[in-house]
Parts: sequence; structure tokens; C-alpha cells
Amino acid sequence: MARNFLESQDVCIVAYGETKIDRRTGKTAYELAAEVAEELFARTNLTPGDIDGVSFTVPLSECANPFWSNYCTDYLGITPRWLQTTDIGGASAIGNVARAAMALQNELCETAMLIGADAPSSKWSAVYGSYRNEFWEPTGIQGPPGAFGLLMNRYMAQYELDFAGLGALAVAQRNGAAVNENAYERFRKRIAVDDYLNSREVSTPLRLLDSVMFCDGANGLVMMKTDRARELGFENRVYPFAYSEITNFAGAEQTPDITETGFSVSGPDALAKAGLTPADIAMFHPYDDFLIAVMLKLEQIGFCERGQGSQFLRDTDISPTGALPINTGGGQIGCGQPGLAGGGVNLVEAVRQLMGEAGERQVPDPANALVTGIGVIPYGRNWGTSNAMVLVK
Amino acid sequence: MNEPAPKPRPVPRPTANTQFFWDAAKRGKLALQYDPDADRYQFWPRAISTATGRRNLEWRETSGRGEVYSYTVTHVPTAGFEERTPYVVGLIELDEKVRIIGNIVGIDPGEVEIGMRVRATFETLTDDIDYFAFEPDDG
Repeated sequence: MARNFLESQDVCIVAYGETKIDRRTGKTAYELAAEVAEELFARTNLTPGDIDGVSFTVPLSECANPFWSNYCTDYLGITPRWLQTTDIGGASAIGNVARAAMALQNELCETAMLIGADAPSSKWSAVYGSYRNEFWEPTGIQGPPGAFGLLMNRYMAQYELDFAGLGALAVAQRNGAAVNENAYERFRKRIAVDDYLNSREVSTPLRLLDSVMFCDGANGLVMMKTDRARELGFENRVYPFAYSEITNFAGAEQTPDITETGFSVSGPDALAKAGLTPADIAMFHPYDDFLIAVMLKLEQIGFCERGQGSQFLRDTDISPTGALPINTGGGQIGCGQPGLAGGGVNLVEAVRQLMGEAGERQVPDPANALVTGIGVIPYGRNWGTSNAMVLVK
Repeated sequence: MNEPAPKPRPVPRPTANTQFFWDAAKRGKLALQYDPDADRYQFWPRAISTATGRRNLEWRETSGRGEVYSYTVTHVPTAGFEERTPYVVGLIELDEKVRIIGNIVGIDPGEVEIGMRVRATFETLTDDIDYFAFEPDDG
């Protein structure tokens, strides 16, 4: 594997921002991008004229516009010398940290603003091509819950799945949402394992409380070279320290084991680049579209053995003061998923924690965080992109 | 979830590459692409072999037989499936060693099991399109 381009900590994150997550706001992705941009400008004391690098995720609510990134920089009054829109879905957030780091290292820009903004509960403009019209939509498969129902049922044929373990994760994430002011207000109440177990089945064996719900919202970061951050007086810095990404894992195989995911590659690779083992990880902020995705990542990154994920979740204290804090702010299942900006929910919480600004859910002095992203539901497998990033203080 | 005016079940729009598949379906046959260089079938249909990167592909009509690799019982119907809810969406491993997503019909959803043998059956959507599904294969 290639060298670790993040090892020298020559680029850093100096600020994070996040809007309240809400349903059917009637806002556009531009309006939500403006909200998070204002927060980022305020936190950094920068103006639109100071930003010369921008990355976006593709919003579900604006993807019919092939010029989203140009329109949005115009909307914000930013004149980037490096501009990138990333379309690896929920993997775009940490994917953009890696891409911005490369742009900064290569001096394509000096000050980068990374924005995820989407409003799919207010506007939906996605139209899928490729196999979807002929071989997916006419089968009546219930989109991502259907795909994860297939994945979950197959896992249950190969391994033992203790639903109480998934329930423990649902409970822990709701505990985070309850103390997270940015979480969707209706989700800010605690639940019990039985609430999870008794929630109705959407696509058996997948339950309602296994799943995210589409909301509106935005999140973002400001990044620059570490030398420049020091000069400008940004003392609270977080460093991307290792990154690994893989798309279309086992994509050419016709009959792969669908319980094996790209995280079996990108997880261990990111940890190896960071010189860390799973035991060294202070907190885990996994992309959580469905609970079982978090569980499979625990297994394949190496926190536990294959087939032991649900037992691990049942038996491990995953609260902010526990052995392995997981998605302390509630994750996307706890907070609501702001469309394809969803990956930023997990990422921003990790940065907030490392900056020591997580309030009553603060993890005591975390040295590092492992953040993951998942992007895109493929045909009859698990997911498209699996990426992992280690962040350090 | 939004539940506006009922929409019909989506109907496939064949492409230049997939027309053979739908013509075969109209004859009650499940056709698969076969790569003679790799001696391998592939599904879903593409204009290139994912094994060799070449466009040297043949269409072959198959028996449509295989087994259930996984399945899910759908309780929240998509467009056109309201009347048959709950219904089963299966991920079927065909004997040609490819996987295909299709409804499993002709059996109570509670009776479906991973590993059970199934065979292709077809239902008419339009004059041009018969859509594949799978039913228990009693041999």
C-alpha cells in the first residue's frame, strides 16, 4: 500500500459547523449551506474572500442540477481556486477531508471549506440510471431498507445475530441524540432495548428503528496547512492522520459473500497507516445508515471477530465514558440523516469531541477518533464505498 | 414516508444491450450474458464483461433454476405492490453462478427459506414486457 500522505500532520481542521437537523424545513441545499458557512466564518473570523478551496457532497435535493458546486460557490460569494464535488454518497464527508488535504499539500488552495448540505425531506431530485429501471425498481424492493433486509437475513444464515446487541446500539445513540441540540427534535428522547425490539418490521428482519430517516441539514469544516493555522492563531487543531477508501469491493465477483464488505480492506489499512490497533482507538464514529452496518464494521475493522458484532455491542460500554464510545452525538440514526450530507454528522461529532467541545457527552480527553463513511447501495451486495479515517489531536 | 396518488409498478425500458433479455422473457425464458473467454455468466446485463473487460459476450437462455441466497419480506410497498403486501423480495443464486433479485411468489412469505430451490416464472406487465419472478421448484 502507498505511503501515508497524512502522516506528517501538515494539514489540519481548524473549525467545524453543523445546522440543526430537521424534517421538511422547506429550505434548499443552498440555504442550508449558507447556514453552516456562516457558522464556519464566525468560528474562524474568516470571510468569503478568504476561502480559496471548496468541496461539496452531491445533494439528493439538487443533483438534477449538473452545476451544483458552481451555483453554490456563487451563492456564497466564494471564488475557489480548487473546487470539487464528490459523489460517493455518505462516504463523501471523510473522502473530502482526504481530497482537501491533498489539495492543500499541493498548494492548489490555502484555506478550504468543506460543505455537506442537503434537504431530501423537502425536495427530491435523484433519478437513478444503470440497472435501476430494469432490474431493481420493478422488483418492489424497498430501497436501502430492502437491500439491508437481504444483507441482514443472509448474515443471520451464516452467524448468530443477537438483536439485543443492535438494540443496545440504538439505545446508546438515542442517549447521544437526547443531549445533542442539533438532533432532530422528535428523536431527542431516550428509548429502551424493547422499543427497538418492538418497532415494526419494514423489510424483515429489518425494523424501523434499525434505520435512518431522511431529514434536512448541513455540516462543514475549515481546513488549512498546519503552519498557516499556527500563524493565524488557530490553537484547537484536529489532524486527519490516516485514510483508506475502497469502492465496489468484490465488484467483479458474481457470487461474493455479501456479509464481507470493503471495510475488511479499508479499516485495517487505515489503522495500519496510523500505526494503531483497534484497542488504541479512543472513540468510534461509524457511518450509521442502518445499525447492522455499524456492527459489520466492528467485525471487519477488527474490534471483534466475524459473527461476534452483536454480542460485542451487547457486552461493551459504548457510552461516552465507556470502553469504546460509539457515535456519541447520536449518529444519523439518532439525529436524523441530512441526506447525502449525512456522513458529516459522524465526522463533525468526532471533530467536536477531539476539540473538547462536546459538553455533557464529552469523551474524557480522547487522543484519537476512527470515523467511517458508507456510500451507495449496489445490486445484491452490501454497499458501494467503504472508507475510514483516523483523526488525532 | 410520502404516500401520494398511487403510482403503477415501474416498467423496464429496454436498452440496446438488454433487448435480448426482454425478448427472451416474453418467450418465458431467463436469458443471461455469457463470457466465452472467461467461461463465466454475469448478471445484471452490461455492454462489457466484468471478468475480461472485453465486449465479447453471448446471450444464453437458461433453465431459470437456482436457490434462495437471501430474502426479505417487504411490509412497506413500493409503487404497484400495494395489493400484494407483504411480499417477498429474494436474492436468488442461479445455477449459472450469478445472483438476481426478484420476487418469490406462489408461497406464503413465512414459508420461504434460505437455500430453497426456486425456478423462474413470468408475469405480464405490458404487451412488450413480461417480468421475471421466482417460485418454489418442486423438481
